[in-house]
Amino acid sequence: MRSPKESWFAISRQLSPGRAAVLTAWSFLLPLSIWCVVSYVPFIWHPDVKLEVGSTGATVYTAGDHVGKDYFPTLLAGARDENAGIAEAAAAGEPIKGSSRDNVKLLRMVLPIAISNGVLTPADDTNDAAIYGVWRRLATGDLVMSSPALSEENLSVIRDNWAIMSAISETYDKSALEKQKLLSLIPQGKPANPVYLPAPHEVLIQGYKSWTEEPAEGRSSMGERLRSSIIVVFGGFLLAALVSLPLGIVAGSYDFFSKLTEPFLDFFRYMPAPSFATLLVAIFGAHQSPKLALVFIGTLPHLCLMITKTTRMLDPSLLEAAQTLGSKRFHLLRKVVVPGIVPAVYNDLRIALGWAWTWLVIAELIGVKSGLTEVIDTQGTRRNFDQVFPVIFLIGIIGFATDQFLAWLRPKLFRWTEPKAPGLMGRWFGGVQNWFEPVLVAYRKG
Amino acid sequence: MKLIFTKKAALVGLAMTLVISLSGCGGDGEVAPEPTAPPVSTEPTPEPAPASEPAPTAAASSEKPLTIAYSDWPGWVAWEIAIKKKWFEEEGVNVEFLWFDYVASMDAYVAGKVDAVCMTNGDALVTGATGKPSVGILVNDYSNGNDMVIAAPGIDSIEGLKGKKVGVEEGFVGHLLLLTGLQSKGLTAGDVEIVNTPTSETPQVLKSGAVSAICAWQPNSGQALKAVDGSSAVFTSADAPGIIYDLLYVDGANLTENREKWAKVVKVWYRVVDFLKNEDNVDEALGILAERVSVKPEEYEPFLEGTYILSLEEAMKVWEKTDGLGSVYGSSKVVDKFNVDYQVYEKPLAIDGYFDPSLTEALIKK
Repeated sequence: MRSPKESWFAISRQLSPGRAAVLTAWSFLLPLSIWCVVSYVPFIWHPDVKLEVGSTGATVYTAGDHVGKDYFPTLLAGARDENAGIAEAAAAGEPIKGSSRDNVKLLRMVLPIAISNGVLTPADDTNDAAIYGVWRRLATGDLVMSSPALSEENLSVIRDNWAIMSAISETYDKSALEKQKLLSLIPQGKPANPVYLPAPHEVLIQGYKSWTEEPAEGRSSMGERLRSSIIVVFGGFLLAALVSLPLGIVAGSYDFFSKLTEPFLDFFRYMPAPSFATLLVAIFGAHQSPKLALVFIGTLPHLCLMITKTTRMLDPSLLEAAQTLGSKRFHLLRKVVVPGIVPAVYNDLRIALGWAWTWLVIAELIGVKSGLTEVIDTQGTRRNFDQVFPVIFLIGIIGFATDQFLAWLRPKLFRWTEPKAPGLMGRWFGGVQNWFEPVLVAYRKG
Repeated sequence: MKLIFTKKAALVGLAMTLVISLSGCGGDGEVAPEPTAPPVSTEPTPEPAPASEPAPTAAASSEKPLTIAYSDWPGWVAWEIAIKKKWFEEEGVNVEFLWFDYVASMDAYVAGKVDAVCMTNGDALVTGATGKPSVGILVNDYSNGNDMVIAAPGIDSIEGLKGKKVGVEEGFVGHLLLLTGLQSKGLTAGDVEIVNTPTSETPQVLKSGAVSAICAWQPNSGQALKAVDGSSAVFTSADAPGIIYDLLYVDGANLTENREKWAKVVKVWYRVVDFLKNEDNVDEALGILAERVSVKPEEYEPFLEGTYILSLEEAMKVWEKTDGLGSVYGSSKVVDKFNVDYQVYEKPLAIDGYFDPSLTEALIKK
């Protein structure tokens, strides 16, 4: 068959909507698949060891922590040396006296593995009696861990410890634990990528968890954080728009206002908005207001200058025609300039809203940290990047969806401008609208 | 038929959204500084409608709360216990705790946005000389190893830092510790190159390799040790005990005006101390403290050892006006000289004005 098929690579030719949709999907799938390959193909990269059993000591490593592959043996050697010392003393008939707290900490090292095997729940984190029971069952072979399994070395540590523990007491007795220092579990883990690149499923699971988890008392839930962030972005943006619209339009129309405002705004926009952070906190306090103010001063000068420029680009023939017909001053402004530039100004606003989002992460760090940014900042500092990524993605999705929505809305608002093929999301919004259409019609009739 | 969007409707929508967003940020002026902060809250989520303020205890409901800025030092995070257990309500004092980064908390105090701030004795002097003086009314603890100079792998002593870059928050407590450490080995400030780094960023900065060492306190120092395999603490506050005391500093005018309320705050603190000193509470305390700074409880446990929480009796000793690092006065004198020598500020300060032990004393007399 030789049907003349359109080429995928025709210069300056638009692809069919079907093909465009396929490519749009791929533009997301490609980076996603790279992420998956790097995360799930074991021999690619994986320079770290993700611990399943941590280590105690001056620096406590907990299950889930990462250490470099090169450093892992040092960590192992440290734990083995310590155990050797303890065993030696015991063999010499002079066992080292323990502290009950240290031994309790040691017993709890088995907790993460017991949780992932479904033997205990996270709520058992201080349930030492239950943990003691797990040790007994592991030592006697009554319980075998499989996901993940305990290393042979650790099983032997458990049996050795249990020999000591069972001699003291078959059941948990905190004060009795003082008698003898127990052996420490040896760190064990799996190859992993650095903490800053968690695997997709880890991000998904953690994202779901942070959204559904009840926040600690007095802390904000993710929903509240999202709301607070949206107030900052849209509040700052709308305030900037409120000032920029009249200012930009008059400055674009009258040279008087242009010369009066533009030079300063041009100067002001080069001053980085975050440098005003401390000043804004001093003026507006430490809560939401300085953040709104930062988004405002970050967005205002650019938006103002853009609207001025857009106003200036109005087709002069329109003005001439109107003047010929006797239109004057404010009438001219209201009936010719404003309707003439509104579609272009709408686009300016869309771009400025994008800026407002970029200012958000800086704004929310000033004063009392708040909103989504607080999660990004705190969890990032604590290297819990599996909690950071869901938030970053969320911001991206909201920004993208808003923009697509506004793009879809544009031809509905400004019917006199040339129609443009809607994008993928635009079509989706269109679909939603069509679906609601009968409802709306019914509503209007009723 | 399609939905009709008129320009007018769009404008009305815009105006309405504006009104809503404006009402959300309104009321932040002098009259009511915080939109809707619950009386004792660590995470004030300002809400658009200032009507949803939960009613605090009857006695304190109409009063303006005392506002205290606190940050991630373990001795201050301990306030969280009183907050969670509602001990301020029980004591009948309306207190609002605001969570900040350390330096930002002092900025907020200088800007007059909070009534009190948790600072080290040294930083209170710096803040006083360069911004706004304050009065320390209670000593939480002294740093017993939690403040650290952490060097990259391969450097195992503070002498090894000679000619290297060190990431530290310039002019503040970490800087003081670094200089003390250098001095103890006969080195001077000129022997290292300071890279001004916010303390909360130090783990990443050390990891990046941009500096050879950093100065930080827990939990940041622990994070740095874990982030960089093989890094080690080459000098800690345990090597110079008493150089760093951690206090609650109050604005002088506010203290005069609300003396009785602050006395209640001090009283609540010693309830916290009693709670912490009881070994049976370790797990509960760790749970509360660790959650506040997003660290696991088992990771947090060593931090408590590096922060020596002072009991009431121990605090009374520290309040004695003697020379030497065993007294908060003596310690501040040392730090003051230090600050002048290193030109953090120009002239020595009148240290006595920075302390008021009477509220703590009143408790012991009872």
